[in-house]
Amino acid sequence: MSYKHLGSRNSGAPGWLFQRITGIVLIVAMVGHYILMHYTPTSGHSFASTFERMQNPLWKVFYLSFVVVGIYHGLNGVWGVVRDFKMKRWLSMTILGAMIILGIAFAVFGFMNVLVF
Amino acid sequence: MNFYQSGWTKVLTTYHRFAGSWAWIFHRISGLALTAYIFMHIIALSNLQKHKIDGGKAFNEEMALFSSPFFLVIEWLLFAFVLYHTLNGIRIVLVDFANGARYHKQLHYAVVTIGVIAFIAMGYVIFSHQVNKTVAMLF
Repeated sequence: MSYKHLGSRNSGAPGWLFQRITGIVLIVAMVGHYILMHYTPTSGHSFASTFERMQNPLWKVFYLSFVVVGIYHGLNGVWGVVRDFKMKRWLSMTILGAMIILGIAFAVFGFMNVLVF
Repeated sequence: MNFYQSGWTKVLTTYHRFAGSWAWIFHRISGLALTAYIFMHIIALSNLQKHKIDGGKAFNEEMALFSSPFFLVIEWLLFAFVLYHTLNGIRIVLVDFANGARYHKQLHYAVVTIGVIAFIAMGYVIFSHQVNKTVAMLF
């Protein structure tokens, strides 16, 4: 990989720690998400209840952070996989750049889903 | 691209006697799948963006589709990925931050046991609504 090209100051440790922190956050959020979507399916599968939920700013904040934390955790994990391959620097940096652009684009798209209410 | 470990297929197939290597492989596969899923999920929910025009009609139709038996099965399988990634993630956190490294075998058994029970329980939760609906329709 590529991380030797990033200099010895970047060991990947912050990413490792954030992966665990966001993972724990996602477990809590995911349990709630599953209860909402499957234990009481109407609360997640009808527009009326979604609309009602979205009137509460706290739910909006929840979903906005869910999008950001989820995408970060996912792409940080993908980057961890990429780092395990001994790629040329230009290749790993291209993948990293594509991942960052993809992540930002989908986060914005996810924000639009929430902020349209 | 080059792999650090040459002959990685051999590595994949001969390390199977250690539960940890399978845990690692499944964690990656489920993680990559879930990352792909979250992007798909965001696109799927973009029907919400039309609600000021159609009053949520497109969203309701989509959700009706996702409530069909076929998608319920798919969602159950998705839950298997989420569940495994969650439980193995907890195991990883325990190994990294607690004294989990001393209890690898017990943790693996716990992951598998809790996983199977939770998977069956979620199957009941997902399908019971459908079963109840069908029963209510018949009688």
